[in-house]
Amino acid sequence: MELNIHVKDGAIVEDGLQYVINAWDENGVETAVQLKEDSGAETTLVSIGGGDNTDVIRRCYAMGIESGMHIDDPALEKADAFIYARVLQKVFEAGDYDLVITGKQAQDTDNGQTGIILAEYLGLPCVSNVIGIEVLDDKHLKVSRSGDAGTEIVALELPAVVTVDVSINEPRLPQMRGLMMAKKKAIEKMDLTALGTSADEIGCAAPKSEIVAFMATEKRSGGRKFEGDAAEITARVVDLLANEAKVL
Amino acid sequence: MAKVLVVAEIKQGVLKGSTAELLSKAKAIGAQTAVVAIGSDIESLLPDLVGAGADQQYIADDARLALFSAGPFAACVVDAARQFDADQVWFGFSESSKAVAPRVAAQLDAACATEITDVMFEQGHIEVIRPAITNKVLQRVRINTERMVAVVRAGAFAADPELAGSENVVRLAPPPADLKAVIKELVSEAGSEIDLADADIVVSVGRGARNQDGVELVKALAEELNAGFGASRAMVDAGFMAHNKQVGQTGKIVAPTLYMAIGISGAIQHLAGMNGSKVILAVNKDPEAPIFNVADYGIVGDLFEVVPILRQEIKKIRS
Repeated sequence: MELNIHVKDGAIVEDGLQYVINAWDENGVETAVQLKEDSGAETTLVSIGGGDNTDVIRRCYAMGIESGMHIDDPALEKADAFIYARVLQKVFEAGDYDLVITGKQAQDTDNGQTGIILAEYLGLPCVSNVIGIEVLDDKHLKVSRSGDAGTEIVALELPAVVTVDVSINEPRLPQMRGLMMAKKKAIEKMDLTALGTSADEIGCAAPKSEIVAFMATEKRSGGRKFEGDAAEITARVVDLLANEAKVL
Repeated sequence: MAKVLVVAEIKQGVLKGSTAELLSKAKAIGAQTAVVAIGSDIESLLPDLVGAGADQQYIADDARLALFSAGPFAACVVDAARQFDADQVWFGFSESSKAVAPRVAAQLDAACATEITDVMFEQGHIEVIRPAITNKVLQRVRINTERMVAVVRAGAFAADPELAGSENVVRLAPPPADLKAVIKELVSEAGSEIDLADADIVVSVGRGARNQDGVELVKALAEELNAGFGASRAMVDAGFMAHNKQVGQTGKIVAPTLYMAIGISGAIQHLAGMNGSKVILAVNKDPEAPIFNVADYGIVGDLFEVVPILRQEIKKIRS
């Protein structure tokens, strides 16, 4: 289904938009569930902001995540990646986690920063754009990363942060039984105070960057479309590519 | 005057064009510039680094930097940024840049903007333009910090052929190794394959190819053009092409002079990966395929019929 985004007066028109789990995060959820199934890992989901995330979190429960929390606070309205990372830092420090998994980027912002910044704040090793994870023992993973020159094999010591790419796995479709059970599962809801912090401590009032306007992309428009005898039109187009566009 | 540090993009021992492009833009907005080059055995690149147009060159050359590792590479960039007292650090678009830039930003307490297409000074602060939501919108982002780290979209800036730099080299001490994330091995892509991100011409195959024969047919076209050979996600998911060949939002972003979309319908995620191309040619059986809305030249036809003719005509023209 095609997603149509309308920009009006510098903002995105939200009417009629349906919110879904970020594609890359879904791969992250699947990664966690596989670690649970294969290595007995305990899994916890954290979702920040966004208003009513219940459906999305329940879907993750149905996929196999054992517990979850939703952190929402009006102070987070202008949060940037650094602020999200501070919130996640608080969550991490309040628990006893060995591995943080995030998606490589968000489908709306396409930023790809939060997981990596979190690792910096926590002083943890981090591998981004992960396409494969192998558990070596309690404290070590072997991860494959899609790099510029090929696949990078990295020995990673826990605790650590990984950000995953879509090619790491195929997220399972939640089954009916999972969805029914998920409906009864609690979601821990917290604001910043309940999390043990404050808007000031997180730096909510001063995001490092903020979106001041949205604009429609300069629509690239179609040029000429040729239909008819294949030999004729192809010859014509090649001629245009060479002599008009001058790219051949 | 702003001070911009550009991180040199080096691939297989070669300095890539993005370095000169970024330096040209920095000069154009009136900044003082420096470049930082990181790797092993890169001393021979010094003339190219100077030629790229910076007034200062920082070089981190050590055997331990032969393979990419985000931690040590970020440490080198931060070292150069601090020595240069950079306001801005710009990277060309690559997987390495995306892994390193947020670390550098966190360490320098700077804002981080990925995939920017423009940067401007507005009444005492920086603003950048970047695409979002699979390239459906553009964001205008205001930077509130004194410093900014940015990863620049491929092809966003043009290189100024007149720009030349002066040699002022500072050699950086090798950074500590990352003991907790240790790069063990690099499984490289076939050495002879043309890198999609660098190719002047890219030919991509989509579901219209139907089977291995179709893929081979389009591959032959790519080879004859000495072009990069890419694919839509559908072909990668179906197992016909490796993931590193995927062009699109979840694959590679390319901006070649000529992009040929063969048997590709034009899903929005694919367009996000190639609509920065200078000229787009599309071949598709379906006259209503969305790819024709962005193609400069469109041929409605079955690729099994059209591609052999394309190859023939191209051979004629080139001889």
